[in-house]
Amino acid sequence: MAKVTVDGKTVEVPNDANALEACRAAGVEVPHFCYHPALSIVGQCRMCMVEVEGVPKIQASCTVPVRDGMVIKASTEKALAARNATMEFLLINHPLDCPICDQAGECKLQDNAVAGGLPVSRTSEPRRQFPGYDRTEIGPHVIADMTRCIQCTRCIRFCQEITETGELTFIERGGHTIVWTHEGKALDNDLSGCAADVCPVGALTTKEFRFRKRVWWLDKTRSICDGCEIGCSLSIEHRDGVVYRYTPRVQPAVNDYWLCDHGRFRAEQLNELDFTKPEIRVVGGAERRQTNWGEALDAVKLAIEKARTEGKDKEKISEKVIVLGSANLTTEEAWLLATLCKDSLKVNSPEFTVGLGPRRRIRNKKDGWLYGTEAAPNSRGCEAAGLTRAKEGGTSPLSLLLSKKSSSSPPAVLYITDAAFTERANDPEFVAELRKASVLIVHARTRNALSEAADIVLPVASLAGTEGTFVNTKGRVQRVDLAILAPPIVRTSLEIFLHLGAKYGAFDAQWTARHVFDRMKASVPGYAGLDWDSDDLVGNPPSVSPAAAYDALGLNKDADVEVFTRPSVAAPDRKP
Amino acid sequence: MSGLETISPVLLARLGKPDSRAIEGYVADGGYASWKKVLAGAKTGEWTPAKLTDMVKASGLRGRGGAGFPCGLKWTFVPTKDKRGDKPVYLLCNADESEPGTFKDRLLIEQDPHQILEGMMLASFALDVKHAYIYIRGEMVHGAEVLNAAVAEAHAKGFLGTDILGSGIDLTITVHRGAGAYICGEETALIESLEGKRGHPRIKPPFPAVSGVWGAPTVVNNVETLCCVKHIVDRGADWFKGVGRNEKNTGPKLYAVSGHVEKPGVYEAPIGIPWEQLLAMAGGVRGGRKLKAVIPGGSSAPILTAAEIAGIPMDFDGIAAAKSMFGSAAIIVMDETTDIPKAVTNIAKFYAHESCGQCTPCREGTPWLLKMLRRIVNGEGKKTDLDLLLQISNQMGNGMTICVFADAAIAPVISGITKFRSEFEAYVEKSQKPTFEQGASDDLTNAIANRTAAGIHS
Repeated sequence: MAKVTVDGKTVEVPNDANALEACRAAGVEVPHFCYHPALSIVGQCRMCMVEVEGVPKIQASCTVPVRDGMVIKASTEKALAARNATMEFLLINHPLDCPICDQAGECKLQDNAVAGGLPVSRTSEPRRQFPGYDRTEIGPHVIADMTRCIQCTRCIRFCQEITETGELTFIERGGHTIVWTHEGKALDNDLSGCAADVCPVGALTTKEFRFRKRVWWLDKTRSICDGCEIGCSLSIEHRDGVVYRYTPRVQPAVNDYWLCDHGRFRAEQLNELDFTKPEIRVVGGAERRQTNWGEALDAVKLAIEKARTEGKDKEKISEKVIVLGSANLTTEEAWLLATLCKDSLKVNSPEFTVGLGPRRRIRNKKDGWLYGTEAAPNSRGCEAAGLTRAKEGGTSPLSLLLSKKSSSSPPAVLYITDAAFTERANDPEFVAELRKASVLIVHARTRNALSEAADIVLPVASLAGTEGTFVNTKGRVQRVDLAILAPPIVRTSLEIFLHLGAKYGAFDAQWTARHVFDRMKASVPGYAGLDWDSDDLVGNPPSVSPAAAYDALGLNKDADVEVFTRPSVAAPDRKP
Repeated sequence: MSGLETISPVLLARLGKPDSRAIEGYVADGGYASWKKVLAGAKTGEWTPAKLTDMVKASGLRGRGGAGFPCGLKWTFVPTKDKRGDKPVYLLCNADESEPGTFKDRLLIEQDPHQILEGMMLASFALDVKHAYIYIRGEMVHGAEVLNAAVAEAHAKGFLGTDILGSGIDLTITVHRGAGAYICGEETALIESLEGKRGHPRIKPPFPAVSGVWGAPTVVNNVETLCCVKHIVDRGADWFKGVGRNEKNTGPKLYAVSGHVEKPGVYEAPIGIPWEQLLAMAGGVRGGRKLKAVIPGGSSAPILTAAEIAGIPMDFDGIAAAKSMFGSAAIIVMDETTDIPKAVTNIAKFYAHESCGQCTPCREGTPWLLKMLRRIVNGEGKKTDLDLLLQISNQMGNGMTICVFADAAIAPVISGITKFRSEFEAYVEKSQKPTFEQGASDDLTNAIANRTAAGIHS
């Protein structure tokens, strides 16, 4: 550690920190553009100018390595004049089109101009334009507008150093310099959305989010990506019950500052909601009709109890009632389900399967690339909570179903707690096999072949309406916060299990995910001793903007950002 | 001082000979004798790298590329073998001569390439270099051809290659053509360019001597500097020291004189000869006109008026004392007919075109200066423009950028406006712009100029 004095305040920073980071550690925010904690230092925006004692010339603080006893003067007249000069240079050719720029509100140029720029412009020259290089798609997700570019090269360095694909480059030089793709190439890599994230201005924006919402209207809620097993921290950005985008949330242990395109652009899917009320089919009836939760849950219980008491093999309830879990369930939900099956329904432990999708990857500084092939977020948590992973070629009911071998006797009740528990839920042949059950119960949010075939459909909320924990590929337990309340009648799987359990006197219907977490943690491997509110579980708050991601050294967190967390429902902590 | 007496040409001695480029002619004129001498001495221990470095140090040779850094001292910055480990040392010959007004290296390259090669061989011996590069400016197609032919000849004659002349010493020289960017003459940009990247200057430290091309210790020397090394080994450090104005400015020097003189060209003279003597060598001012101004060290040097340059010794310290820069000794002479605002605009155009675009102040500032200067010479100037030009210039240089390109770009603007302000004012006076706009924006500009930086930030 090195002791560095910034504007009279002495702080200790790691030896490999630079003067800019030391300033942040001392609480002196030095404006900057090209510096990004995860990318190499180029020192070319010349915004972070400070004075260093003993060095005659003014210095770009990001390029100055700290040394013990260094004295930095970040707020002298000379330093401020230098930063004003850079701001002036940056703005003389900037189009100043904030009102029609989608970056407005999370633009570092705008922020720094407001915080310390000159109030009026001294230039009367025509502003530079780049006809042909504005509002152009340079890849499947990213739109470039070079009139706004400040040539900080963050995006170029991102593509060179993080994805190592190097699609972007400087073209031309001097005042004509633009950032563009190499000839004939597109900015098409699996993390391309991050290039727009690191862009401090509106030069790179994503097609999916562009012009959909002014960013200052967005609420940010901490969540975890459910696109694969890696479990990247993200922030769900939403407004009035509608999800608009995901942004990566800094998590040095998993995804650093990044989020892959597969995960990022799942955000809009959260707004899909095909079932707003429970639906039920009278035995033998052709059509389902909408109903209320009371009748729907009674019907579920009745179906299971009927299977228990009717038929010749009264003892073989476990074969007549099959409950399937899903790797999309939170660990809390999985634990409730496992407990319900074991203690109340007295059926076999629910099985789950997890589909293998294309290999996803994300990168952090410590581990390099992390890979994920499972297409669901929580297979490890489900296993820990007591669900059984279906083995390939096994003889369990789900294994047999998945290997397309018909079981000899179809179950009386098949209760599937996630209509999307496998990618084959849209395969008519597979669904027909499932449909052989006398009663087919499904939790569903969106319509697919399975939910269409079901007798009882219980509507559930999306990830944005869910609370709980996921266990990622590294065994990290990470918390998902409730971003938006689902429409009034829609419930989460957690609530359904609680209400069902309440019918057996097992659970209290008023419990929240947190109560379940506290109850289960002693018995679930990997959860012992965890605290719902601990930093490890919660992760970092969302950044003010993706471009403003604070540094991995943890020297400074974006204290100003308002995290949108719904207050936990006050619930009686009682055991029924 | 005796050091300033006229000398017979040393660096240019072989110029004009019919076979000046061919290795046979070079060897016949005593070329490669030093290289053979050093190689033979290396076996017996008579010649060691340290001895050669000390010799160059003792000669007082200062880099001829522009900065005038002592060459021997630069060599000593290379880490010793126990410190650098397995990393090789590279020698780069900077032949990216692109400063407007400079054309001395081109002459050496095209007329006497073996002189450069021998200098590089000797420097490589001193620095333990196994592979040296000549980075030649892209436009010098002919020069690159000549150098490539010379390197091939030297290989064929056994002056390059492995186990050269049985000494156990290996050396390869590669000629690399740049793509014509002025900034690639800056040593770190040259290194980046040689590595195959865009020619963007690097942040220093680390300095090239510690981490240069491909992360290895690297010495970058100018063409003329390396030629001087050859002659120092030929004739001894004392001879070199005996030529020139004083101990800090030694050796023969090439002066590239251009502009309004009778006989523009490259002149060799002891470093530090008085201005008048150099002007006389070039035949005096064209057509007997009066001298108005001189740019003494290439376009990036501040302009000197006729009065300022009178009697000045033409060397690093002499011109620095006059608050300009000796640079590459590219002397641009301007007579009384010269329109300084137009000349400054022309130079500004060059810098706006050549800025690499890396640092904000330079990328945005150089075109801004050009736009304003163009407006002024086109008769659309405003009264406030001159002060604004100076203010912009002052906030571009002095550490605001990674390399000194911005300092080079602003030098002619600042010196031009401060020393020839009346000429700029005359353009502004003639301005055709409506006065309403002028007055309004003048008020704004003054309002801003009066604000302190601290006040804006608080």
